[in-house]
Amino acid sequence: MKLFEYQAKEAFSQCGIPTPKSVLVESLDAVPAAVAEVGLPCVIKAQVLQGGRGKAGLVKVVKDEAEAKAYAAILFNEKGVRRALVEAAVNIAQEIYLAITADPRQARAAILACAEGGVDIEQLAATSPEKIVTRTVDLDHGLSGFHMRNVGFGLGLSGDKLKAFNKVLSSLYKAFRKFDAELIEINPLFWTAEGTFVAGDGKLTIDDNSLSRQPAYEITRDHYDHELEYEAALAGIPYLQFDGDISLMCAGAGLTTTVFDLINYAGGKVANYLEFGGPNYTRAVDAMELCLKNTGAKVILIVTFGTVARADVIAQGLADAVAKFKPSIPIVTCIRGTNEEEAFRIIKELGLEPLSETEEAVQRAVDIAAGRAS
Amino acid sequence: MSIFIDKTNRVEVQGVTGKEGSYWTKHMQDMGTNVVFGVTPGKEGQQVEGIPVYHTIRRGMVEHPADTAMLFVPPAFTKDAIFEALDAGIRKIVTIADGIPLHELLQIRSAAKSCGAMVVGGNTSGVISPGKAMMGVLPYWIERVYKPGRIGVMTRSGSLTNEVTAEVVKAGFGVSTLVGVGGDSVPLTRFAEVLPLYQADPDTDAVVIIGELGGTMEEEVAEAMADGRFTKPLVAFIGGRTAPKGKRMGHAGAIVTGSKGTVEAKVEALTAAGGLVAKKPSLVGPLLREAMA
Repeated sequence: MKLFEYQAKEAFSQCGIPTPKSVLVESLDAVPAAVAEVGLPCVIKAQVLQGGRGKAGLVKVVKDEAEAKAYAAILFNEKGVRRALVEAAVNIAQEIYLAITADPRQARAAILACAEGGVDIEQLAATSPEKIVTRTVDLDHGLSGFHMRNVGFGLGLSGDKLKAFNKVLSSLYKAFRKFDAELIEINPLFWTAEGTFVAGDGKLTIDDNSLSRQPAYEITRDHYDHELEYEAALAGIPYLQFDGDISLMCAGAGLTTTVFDLINYAGGKVANYLEFGGPNYTRAVDAMELCLKNTGAKVILIVTFGTVARADVIAQGLADAVAKFKPSIPIVTCIRGTNEEEAFRIIKELGLEPLSETEEAVQRAVDIAAGRAS
Repeated sequence: MSIFIDKTNRVEVQGVTGKEGSYWTKHMQDMGTNVVFGVTPGKEGQQVEGIPVYHTIRRGMVEHPADTAMLFVPPAFTKDAIFEALDAGIRKIVTIADGIPLHELLQIRSAAKSCGAMVVGGNTSGVISPGKAMMGVLPYWIERVYKPGRIGVMTRSGSLTNEVTAEVVKAGFGVSTLVGVGGDSVPLTRFAEVLPLYQADPDTDAVVIIGELGGTMEEEVAEAMADGRFTKPLVAFIGGRTAPKGKRMGHAGAIVTGSKGTVEAKVEALTAAGGLVAKKPSLVGPLLREAMA
């Protein structure tokens, strides 16, 4: 789960990483008091999860209260932003990039640093990889002095600046561990004219499998592009919204992704990706309810090939869903795996045809969506 | 021969008294797996499917030395369970747990690497050598998928494995050993680490890999082929060619971030190294015939 900048900075503060003085505002009325508290000039930053906020016009330095109010009005009234951070401006002497992420191959935490901050690290890795300093850390050994020396000297730091940097790095590593981070990033990390480090921006993505031990954070509507994606997430069913007309109700992540490809190859367009495999295989009713809420859907395509996710249980779930919702759009089924003979019987009883080849089922759904079949 | 697991392995099952553990232990035994004891703390003295249950692995090992561990343990307790198996000297471990915390995956993989153990999973259906032995939750009874033969299969997926392997069998082949490395962002064993076992196995003629978007495991296979560490024919199917960037497609590991993890890059690397990549599951069989001609 991605955190908002203000949440990431709260996490930074808890671990001893300095951040600029700031106030979170949730309405236009709160802006003058916030500006008065942090002082002028200040920066107003939309609290959204998308990257590239600067280019998207979602961050602005303001000189006075009138400008602050005018810009905040644009964010709240025109851009649909729900929260903004009003933050004291910093006298910048240098910008640094600093992040810690997981290296799956080495099975370690990976520190990434660059003496130029504000960079797009992916782009830099492609064009000038020599500018990126990388060190990996075994979690059971922890961050040690030599890691920090390698990174700090690698960035060309020395003296008090190096000492101050080591403090930031060690705090960032502490935060990486404490918050079960998938990624924790300070970009840019400012070295100020006054000779201190302060985190200009903050990114923190918590590992989804660790959320039960990070109870302070909850998913919000802002974490999703579409209302139905949020609703599905609250129900615990993976769902992605698209603008096509074929609604996928499949079991198994890899299989659903493959059906998604096959639809595109066959010239069809996906209305939604819904995956109800794993522990959700008994929840066909919930799955179909979501698919039917997607107003773009002209046909529902069910493809499964499960082991634990038994075909007969899924087919019975489908029968229950059909009885409950009496869907008006056609359903194409390709339900196979454990006890598939019984599944086929249940599907026939519903008046549907139990297909057993994925590509045939995909073609059928594409034809129905295009009006070539029913 | 087969890789990783056959009838000679002596398997202990952790979490054996749970619903899933007891159900699948029976299936493992039915397929020929030599299960020697089970472990559930607090349940020593019980029997499950005719095998004795102990509080700890070390207590079971006294009378029933085991060399392989099968875990039916929830994700939150998996690190402890794997460390217990490593501590008892076991070097082959399969965990099906879906949802192991990321940092614990790193710790488990690091510990396994440093003692030369192979831990397969998490978020997998397991490992099967059809007709010989099985560890996990694999439907060996579906004959059109799990037919014994001479093709090695490695996969990041569950249901898609049934889909693609059925095409391998339809083309007239069968499976030597199927290894599910799992769908996590940190698979505890990676494709390229299984490859040397297939290379050395006289009963595996070719390998099919079932990959997907995200990560670099398919590229690592291409590296092994390019530098001659793997020389047998290889066919791949990789899901997610048309997946949008930045969206997680079901599995934790199935996401393109920035320019990393695209299917295009994987297809390009594997093709350049001499592998054949099927665009659709139905093309895996014909390509396999072509690769072995």
